[in-house]
Amino acid sequence: MKILFFVAQVLALVALAPLVSGIIRKIKNNLRMRQGPGILQPYYNLIKLFGKDEVISVNTSWIFTVTPYVVLVSSVLALMLVPVFVSDVSLNYMGDFLLIIFILALGRFFLALAGLDAGSSFGGMGSSREMFISSFVEPVVVMVIFVVALNAHSTGLQVISAVPVLSLPLIIAATAMMFVIIAETSRIPVDNQETHLELTMVHEAMVLEYSGRSLALIELAAHVKQIVFFSLIASVILPFGIARDIAPMPLLASFIYYGLKIMALTVIISVIEISMAKMRLFRVIDFLNIAFVLSVLGIVILAMGK
Amino acid sequence: MWLDVLLFGLLITSFMLVVAKRISALINYFTLQSLALFLLMLILAYGHTGVKLYLVAGLIFLLKVVLIPFFLKRIMRKIKVEENVGFFVNPVISVLIALVLVYLSYAFTTKLLHITETLAQGAFSVAISIIFIGMFLMISRIKALVQIVGLLVMENGLFLAAISVSGGMPFLVEVVIFFDILVSVVILELFVYKINNAFEHIDSNKLKGLQG
Repeated sequence: MKILFFVAQVLALVALAPLVSGIIRKIKNNLRMRQGPGILQPYYNLIKLFGKDEVISVNTSWIFTVTPYVVLVSSVLALMLVPVFVSDVSLNYMGDFLLIIFILALGRFFLALAGLDAGSSFGGMGSSREMFISSFVEPVVVMVIFVVALNAHSTGLQVISAVPVLSLPLIIAATAMMFVIIAETSRIPVDNQETHLELTMVHEAMVLEYSGRSLALIELAAHVKQIVFFSLIASVILPFGIARDIAPMPLLASFIYYGLKIMALTVIISVIEISMAKMRLFRVIDFLNIAFVLSVLGIVILAMGK
Repeated sequence: MWLDVLLFGLLITSFMLVVAKRISALINYFTLQSLALFLLMLILAYGHTGVKLYLVAGLIFLLKVVLIPFFLKRIMRKIKVEENVGFFVNPVISVLIALVLVYLSYAFTTKLLHITETLAQGAFSVAISIIFIGMFLMISRIKALVQIVGLLVMENGLFLAAISVSGGMPFLVEVVIFFDILVSVVILELFVYKINNAFEHIDSNKLKGLQG
C-alpha cells in the first residue's frame, strides 16, 4: 500500500511539475495585463521537443550525451526523498535532508560540465556563472537545514515533517528558502527564464547547445527541481497539515493543504518576478547575503528563544 | 500561530527597512510594519473583552498606516528630495549588523532579564530587536527623513514591548503617546522642510558646520 502510494505520488508530481511552471507563467502574464499562453504550454513545449531531431556537435564527449539523463534522474531522485503528502512515505531510509542537496548538486555539476563540453563561449560563461551563484546558495540551504533540524532534533525528513508547528524561526527559514528557490529555478532577480539575451543568461546559456529530446529532458528536470524545492517548503519546513499515515481523511486534508501552499508559493514567486528587475551578476551576492542573514537569524532565534 | 506570522512580519519588515535603498521604499516598509502591528493588536483585541483594545488598534491604523506615511510622502513631494537614503554603512554590512543586534537583544532578554511574556514566546525579544534596528537606522543613514522613519520604527518596537509584557499600557497613556507621535512627526516634518529651505539638502552629515 505504502509502496503503491509512493510510486503514484512520484509519478503524479513529475507529471504535474510542468503545470506549476505554466501556472506561474500565466499569473505573471495576467499581472502584467497580458493574455499569455495557457497553463498547459510547458507540456506542449515538451511534446514538441520530444518529437524533434537532435543535433549533437562532433566536438562533444560522452558527458554531453549523458548529462540530460543524469540531470533528470537526480531531480526525480531528490523528489523521491521528499515526504510530500504523508510524512513517512518517501525514500527516507536512504538519506536525509543533506542528501537531497548533494543529489541536486550532482545534477548541477553535470550540467555545468556539459556547458563547458561543447566548447562554445556561452556555455562556459553560463557554467561559470551557475557555479558562482550556487556557491552562495548552498550555504543558505545548509543553514536552513540547521534551523529545521534543530527544531526537530533530527535531519531525517520523516521526523522533521512530523513536527507540525508554525513558529517564528521556521517561517524565517522558509523565507530564506524562497530566496534559494528564486536563485535555483533561475527566476528574475537572479536569472531570467524567458529570455535568451546573451548578457543575462545563466541557466539558458549552459543548455544552449542542447536540442530535441535532450533539451526536453533538461527542461523537465528543471520543472521537477522546482517542485522539489516547493515541496521542501510546503511539506518539510512548514509541514502543518501533512498526514501522518495513509488514511482517507488526513490524506484529503494533506492534499488540500499542499495544493494551497503550492498555490501561495506560485503567487508569491510571480509577484516577486514581476515587481523586481534583473540584478547585475555581482549584485546577486547582496541578494543572497540577505538570504544567508535570514537563515542565520532563524538559528539565532531558535537557539536563543528557549 | 497567527501571532508568530505577525511577529515574523514585524521582524522581516525591520530587515527590509535596513536593506531599503530608496526613501519611498523605506516609507512603504514602515507602513507594512505598522500594518502588521495593527493586525497583531486586532488579534489581541479579539481575545479580550471590551472595546478599548479595538480603539487602540483603530488608532494604530489611522495614525501609523494612513496619516504618518501620508505626511512623510507629502514632505518628500514638497521638498523634491532625492530618493537615495544615503548610507554611512553599506546595505550588506548593515544587514549583518542588524543580525548581530537581533542576537544581542535575544541574549539580553532571555539570559539577563527573565520576563514572563503574556503575548507569545519571543515577542519581547522581537520588540527589543526592532527598537535596536530602528536606532541603528537612525545613526547609520544620512538623510534626515530616514531618521524620522527610524524613530517611528523604534516607537513600533516600544509599543510591541509594552503589549508583550503587560498586555498594553493604560488606554489614556496609549492615546497620549499616539498624539505625541503625531505631533512629533508633524514637527519633524516642519524641521525637515526648514532644513531643506535653509541648506537646500537634508543631509544630516553636512549639518555640523555653523551658518550665520
